Formats: sequence, C-alpha cells, structure tokens
Amino acid sequence: MKNPYYPIDAVIEEIIEETPTIKTFVLKPARPIEFRAGQFMQLTLPGIGEAPFTPSSSPKVTEKMEITILRTGKVTDALHESEAGAKVGLRGPFGKGYPLDKLKGKEVLLVGGGVGLAPLRSLIHALLDKPSDYKRISIKNGARLPEELCFNDQYDEWGNAAPNVDFTCTIDTPASGWEGKVGLVTTLLDNLDIDIENSIALSCGPEIMLKFVTLKLLEVGYKPPQIYLSMNRKMSCGMGKCGRCNVGHYYLCVDGPDMCYDKIKHVPNVFG
Amino acid sequence: MHFIDSTNFERLLKKLSSEGELFVPVRNEENGKLSLSRVDAFPLDENVCFDGYRTVEPLKGFAQFLRSPVAEYPSADSDEMADPDGFPDYIVVGARACDVNSLELIDRIQVEGEFIDPFYKIRRDKLLLIAADCSECGDSCFCTLLGNKPWPEKGFDLSIAKVSGGFVVDIGSDRGTAVFEENKDLFTETREGQIKARDEIRERVASELEQKNKDFPAADKLPEILRGALNDEVWDEIAAHCVECGACTNICPTCYCFLLFDQKLDGEHFQRVQSWDSCQVTGYARMAGMLNPRPRLTDRVKHRYYHKYDYLVSSHEAIYCTGCGRCIDTCSAGIDMRESFKKVKEKAKR
Ligand SMILES: Cc1cc2nc3c(=O)[nH]c(=O)nc-3n(C[C@H](O)[C@H](O)[C@H](O)COP(=O)(O)OP(=O)(O)OC[C@H]3O[C@@H](n4cnc5c(N)ncnc54)[C@H](O)[C@@H]3O)c2cc1C
Ligand code: SF4
Ligand code: FES
Repeated sequence: MKNPYYPIDAVIEEIIEETPTIKTFVLKPARPIEFRAGQFMQLTLPGIGEAPFTPSSSPKVTEKMEITILRTGKVTDALHESEAGAKVGLRGPFGKGYPLDKLKGKEVLLVGGGVGLAPLRSLIHALLDKPSDYKRISIKNGARLPEELCFNDQYDEWGNAAPNVDFTCTIDTPASGWEGKVGLVTTLLDNLDIDIENSIALSCGPEIMLKFVTLKLLEVGYKPPQIYLSMNRKMSCGMGKCGRCNVGHYYLCVDGPDMCYDKIKHVPNVFG
Repeated sequence: MHFIDSTNFERLLKKLSSEGELFVPVRNEENGKLSLSRVDAFPLDENVCFDGYRTVEPLKGFAQFLRSPVAEYPSADSDEMADPDGFPDYIVVGARACDVNSLELIDRIQVEGEFIDPFYKIRRDKLLLIAADCSECGDSCFCTLLGNKPWPEKGFDLSIAKVSGGFVVDIGSDRGTAVFEENKDLFTETREGQIKARDEIRERVASELEQKNKDFPAADKLPEILRGALNDEVWDEIAAHCVECGACTNICPTCYCFLLFDQKLDGEHFQRVQSWDSCQVTGYARMAGMLNPRPRLTDRVKHRYYHKYDYLVSSHEAIYCTGCGRCIDTCSAGIDMRESFKKVKEKAKR
C-alpha cells in the first residue's frame, strides 16, 4: 500500500528571480512526476511544513518541475531563503487540472494577475504545444508594477508562437520607463475582439482580482459555464480527506482547483 | 441468531483479549455514564456494562487517532507503507448503532476515492467490533430523527443484545463468523422468548426516542431546509453563545477533519503528524495574507451544519450525523442541534 503522506525527495536545482517577491524554483524529484496542467503539488520544506503550488512548467517534462512562488508566509519565506542544492519534498499531483478537452476548437481566453500567471504558464505550454487545436489563444496579464510582471522575457515568444495566439499585458498605475498599457487587468477585457459565444475564459490570480474579472466577463457576455477560476482555499491533505478546502460541496483539492463558475456561484463568500 | 450466557461471554472476551487490546464500556459510579476502558485483568470489573446507551467518547479514535505520525522523511525515498504488523489490534465491545454507523461514514472519506489513508485503513481492518443494542436512551439521543435504529443493523462483526442471563448475538461479517465458529461451544441456539425479550426492549427504546424527539424536524428534510436558509440571520442567533472551543467536532463520531504538520526529529530527520482539527476555530481555513473564507464565528458554526447536512449529502450521499447527541451534551453554550434545526425550519416557513 502507498503512503500518500510521504513526500518524494527533490532537490532545488536552480532558483530564478522573477520579481522582487516571486521566484521560480527548478526542482529535480528523485523520480519523474507526471502531471496535467493545472494539477497541483504539495511542496514540503523539511521540518517546516507543506504548502500547495501549481507547477508553472510544461506537463511534458517530468524529470524536472518548475514552481513559481510568491513570498507570503511561513513556508514561502523559508523557500525564498533557500539556496540551490537544498532538499525539499513533493507530494502529488492532486486535483483535476484544467479542462483541456473542453478548450478544443474554442477561443481560449486566459486572464492572469500577479503570481497567477504561474499556474497559467503550464497551461500556456500545453496549449502552445499544438495551437492549431484551438481556434484562438488570447492571453491577458496584469501586475501592479512593471517589475512585478513575471516571465516577461517569455511574452514575445508566446505572442509569436502562432498566428492565432496573442499576448497583452498591463500594469495598474503609470511607472517611469513603462510604455505599455496602464490599468487594471479588467481593462483588457473591454472591447474584446473575441467570439464570446464560442469562448472559454480561464483566470488565475488573487481572489479580489478573480472577483472583478468574473464580474467583467459576465458584463461583456460570458455565461457562468464559460468561466473557469483557479480557486484558493487552505489545504492540508490535498486529496479530499482532511475536510478543509470546501467551496460549497466541492473539495477544491479533488474537484478543482480550477472550478467552473457555474458550479460555485451560489456559495457565500465564494471569493473570500 | 445465537445466545451466549454471561459467564461464557466473559470467557469469550478473555480469549479474545489474548489477540489484542480489549475495550469495554464501564459505568462511572458518580454520573452513571459509560466510558470505554481497557481490560487488563479478568474477571471483569463490576461496573462493566453492556446495556444502557453510548459511551461518552466516540468510536472514531480507534481508527483515526487524535494524533498519528504518518511519515518520516527522508527515508530511502520509498512511499511504500510500512508493515501493518506494527499496528495494534483493538477489540471494542459495546459500540452502539450511532457509533457503528459513524465509522462506515468516515470509511467513505478515508478509504474510498483515488487515494487511501493507509493508517486509517489498517487500523480499521484490524478493529474487531462487537456492537450492542441500547436498552435506554439519553436525553440528547436523536438517532431516530436520522432514520436510524437504536440497535446496530450493519457494520459490526458481532452484535449483542442483553436479555435475562446473557446476550442474543447477531453475526455481521466474515470475521464475526470466524469468531463464532472458533468458539462455537460457548454459544447455544436462542430460545423463542429471548428474541421476543430483545425485540420488546428495542421497541420500547425506539418509541422513547420518538417521544423525546417528536418536536424536532426529521433529518431527511434537512438538506432542503438548509439550502433555503443559506444567508439567513437565524445563524447569528444559533451561533450567538458559541465559545469556539471545538468540543463539538472533537466529540462528534463523524467529524473526520484533520491537519498535517511537520516537526524535526533529530539532525536531518523529520516527521509528519496527522492531528484532529476543528472547523470551528479561526485558523482552520485561514490562508496567507489573512484571507479567510469563513472569518466570522457565525460562518464557521453554520459551516458545520452545512458540511454535515448538505455538502456531504451532495458529495458522499449521506448525512454526516448519526444522532448520538454528544455535541449537545458537551456544548458549554448549550447549543442543541435539534433546536437549531427547528429554528431554521421555522425561519424557512416565514
Ligand atoms: C491549489 C493551489 C495552488 C497554488 N499555487 C500557487 C502558485 O503556483 N504560486 C504561489 O505563489 N502560490 C500558490 N498558491 C498559494 C500558496 O499555497 C500559499 O501562498 C502558501 O500556502 C502560503 O504558505 P505560507 O506558509 O508561506 O503562508 P502562511 O500564511 O504562513 O501559511 C501557513 C500554512 O497555511 C497553508 N496555507 C496558507 N495559505 C494558503 C493558501 N492560499 N492556499 C492553501 N494553503 C494555504 C499552508 O499549508 C501554509 O504552509 C496556491 C494555492 C492553492 C490552494
Ligand atoms: S443515539 Fe440512539 S443508538 Fe446512539 S446511544 Fe442514543 S439511543 Fe443508542
Ligand atoms: S486539502 Fe484536505 S480535503 Fe482538500
């Protein structure tokens, strides 16, 4: 019998500084880990504890896994202070992952905010693996400041990956040296040149952003079944046993973490 | 159906006690309540009691420990479970229907689905359960509101019902059959009057329960009633006196929520521990940045009702309450689930 509480050994091979508060950790697990885009891992810092993160790397690569992490508390502080060579542990993958099947032939709209682009990057990798499977791939991303945009060295590559792919980003308030768009990420959803009826939108970011993105998407004509949100709840077991991560009657760790808005729209405090 | 007289029953327990740790209900001389206690010597203490009603503590602790180390790492990078032989064999005698039913509910969570909690599963497989009928019911008992009976119907290995001179015995599993076969000489066939005597007690207790709970709504209507009261102020009223101690979740036989935490053993070795947790305390669902989907006490009190009587009905097809009434006995604010349902139902009518 397998012990699902046991963390598989992994070594931090490389640390990439994305922004002042976000780092990408390139991990090499003791054995390859297969996952689908959007599934998440429980990352162990020995003796300190675990926290859930969605890999930001391509699901095609199983010997290595990249996880992009915002510094915000106990586990993430300790991670940000770690150096290459440090030992960590991994459990998972858990959850359903993104509904890739449902995206085929659709106009796919991705909306990221802050570190929310990290889980979406794994989906972007999966989509760009065969862009012709989708009618359109439109990526919108936002951050507060230019220096808080993660993966900004990769935007051009994504935007130019195929004729049906586009990438736009914005920052919240004007900053010196910034010549791109200014305004909250929701402003990128005004005047969308997307066939909304044939579109599915997926968003990942802070709860407050998810809330306003959802309201905006509804306003511009998306229906709740067309909206998928990467929800956030505190997690412990990752596999529907510890009872912690309910959104309504769903356990986010089993039924999510990406949830169709139609299923959860009635839940009180759904956005925290 | 079989019969075992009291002397032979004690012989049976003595024999079983050589195969594992034996627990029996013992009556507290001061308050008359029953508690499970380990038997270290025979003959059994005179306060050992196989009738009456449930024990103070729930049965779940035999399968899901209050605290249990679940991993030591790193260790040769294997997630293969250690040998089950290291786990204790428990024999619990006198578990009532409400407790037996509760373990079946927790099983659905811990050993079903894509992942299995191997610790729970091994302990559960090793647990020999000799259940018992209730010959009385407590003031807080409401098993019948849940559509359950005050006698075990399934989920046990053997089940006993006290009648004059001994016990009527039911066999409920292959393991129960094996215990019976190995000890056949201790049992006799039941006589006509014994089953009749048992059934009379059953009927009496069931109607006492019906009578005690006649003013409260039956649980099969609850999911619907609750769904209509999701944002109602009645919850503020219900939660008003809660002191957030978590006693209700700890003592509940079906509350299974836990937390994993890690600690350092020595040098380069670490341990992961699973520990019971309570959805009633603030930190339970709090996330980084102080985000909390249930920041107010009312949200958390309400969550407990919805989780048990609505969410788990949708996700696991069962109400996660067996009507044992322990939460009523233990609550220092005097919150009575049955009263809460009544309030919510009346609210729904308005
Ligand atoms: C499915 C999922 C995927 C995620 N993916 C990413 C990601 O790719 N990148 C990223 O930067 N962040 C991600 N997060 C958020 C990340 O898990 C939290 O920021 C992290 O748990 C904070 O841990 P901490 O110990 O530093 O914070 P503290 O506030 O000190 O938290 C203590 C403990 O509480 C738990 N906890 C706290 N916040 C959360 C939370 N939001 N969600 C779940 N458990 C929490 C953890 O077990 C944590 O160790 C994800 C969350 C979820 C639920
Ligand atoms: S709730 Fe029912 S089964 Fe449980 S102790 Fe009371 S009478 Fe017996
Ligand atoms: S994290 Fe334990 S149930 Fe979801």
